[in-house]
Amino acid sequence: MNAIECNNLTHYYGKKLVYENLNFHVEEGSILGLLGKNGSGKTTTINILNGFLQPRSGECLIYGENTQHLTPENKARIGFLIEGHIQYSFMNIHQIEKFYSGFYRKWDKEPYWELMSKLKVTPTQKISTMSCGQRSQVALGLILAQDPDLLILDDFSMGLDPGYRRLFIDYLREYAKSKNKTIFTTSHIIQDMERLIDDVLIMDYNRVLAQKKVDDFMQNFKQFYFELVDGSIDFSKEDFIANVEKVKNKVEIYTYESDVYVKSFLAKNGIGHKNFKKVEMGLEDAFIGLTGKY
Amino acid sequence: MWKSVIYKEWLKTRWFLIIYAAIGVLAVGRIFLKVQHDFTFNEATNFWYVILFQGYQYFGILKFLPALGGLIIAVSQFFPETVNKRIKLTFHLPIVENKVMIIMMLFGACCLLLTFGVVSLFFYGLSIIYFPHEIIHGALVTMTPWFLAGLAIYFLAALIILEPVWKFRFLYALVAVAFIPSVFFDDTITGGYSPANPVLFVLVIIMSTALLFSGYRFRKGEM
Repeated sequence: MNAIECNNLTHYYGKKLVYENLNFHVEEGSILGLLGKNGSGKTTTINILNGFLQPRSGECLIYGENTQHLTPENKARIGFLIEGHIQYSFMNIHQIEKFYSGFYRKWDKEPYWELMSKLKVTPTQKISTMSCGQRSQVALGLILAQDPDLLILDDFSMGLDPGYRRLFIDYLREYAKSKNKTIFTTSHIIQDMERLIDDVLIMDYNRVLAQKKVDDFMQNFKQFYFELVDGSIDFSKEDFIANVEKVKNKVEIYTYESDVYVKSFLAKNGIGHKNFKKVEMGLEDAFIGLTGKY
Repeated sequence: MWKSVIYKEWLKTRWFLIIYAAIGVLAVGRIFLKVQHDFTFNEATNFWYVILFQGYQYFGILKFLPALGGLIIAVSQFFPETVNKRIKLTFHLPIVENKVMIIMMLFGACCLLLTFGVVSLFFYGLSIIYFPHEIIHGALVTMTPWFLAGLAIYFLAALIILEPVWKFRFLYALVAVAFIPSVFFDDTITGGYSPANPVLFVLVIIMSTALLFSGYRFRKGEM
């Protein structure tokens, strides 16, 4: 069953198209990362999912309910992390725990206090005076205590140093996998996503470039490097090439095809080249390879 | 759940509320220090005469105090919700969005009414030492639109603060600046607003729904 299902989603800001007929779904128990460049519609999607934005057309369903009219019962099943770990910063860690506990029947304060015990904060210290890393732990602890079935995390890595990012991810993945939770997340730092997500949804301006299992994507999407004898050859119009980066005669091509296919293409078209090699990629390389550097 | 909402509102507003109530009490104290002074140096009968026949409003410093209160409570309550669009957290709570807005609004309105009540009671308690019933009644009738203005400013300020589009904020602010003085502070004659007070009361009740409009616009993604 799908925790999230978005059908034919179309949205504009004024006359600027964000995307048209976007379709995707998130299966229950999976961790999906939404990747895209700035302005490709990640936060727009998160806002539509949380009912803070009405799409021009189409709909998103969470557990079968339109996100524009989520019932309180359904909202209680969704943990929401706002970009920048925004919380009620005029409260301290005791006050905020007391506040949220009144809303959730399944409230379990244990994981919250376990995370808080790792922070070097005083009991009366306001959240506004905490570091970004400490605030992230407060936000995460509150979501874990809520014990939601679905977590929607908007750019969870924003402002975090590597240690806090690692702590956040490890805690989150362990929690999600041990309790069969569903996560829908975005992040600017794609190395982080690699440790966390099962599925990836890559968006470019106005369209979806890929929605796959991360393992499948990483196995099938490849980068090849070679140096051309004639640097003027243009590959950009070839159907099998997802993206090409070329500096003088040095070429990087990104494709779902195999090295055999690429080599035979070069041979068939009499394209002289040397130093042909397959380049190993991380998720970030693959993302840049698919979407381009600009 | 409503208890948790009230707890949050209390955390945001408590110091502003306490300081504002203290200012109100001090203002009333200041009025009656002046009254005591005038009684001592001008005699009570002369002072009453000036009040009854020359329209002197010995409580005049209270005129804009409720308006200040409405503004303070609205800002302390709703401004923190707009910083980093924190209102998203409130709307994500498992409670109907309009319900949470109404609880927040009722909290603010009740706080204002409570402080107005404290100020009025203190004013009344000291008034009966110095003045006959007719003078006190006239004073309270005169102050009623001022208190109603405090509530109206609270509702309008909340509407303006939560409005997601700056252009509309300016528009609402312009309307408020034109509307409030002409409707609530127009007549300076003691008791002059007596026939209009029930109408103003109904008007303020209607204005109390304005906040829901800003909340709705935010949820629809107006920007």
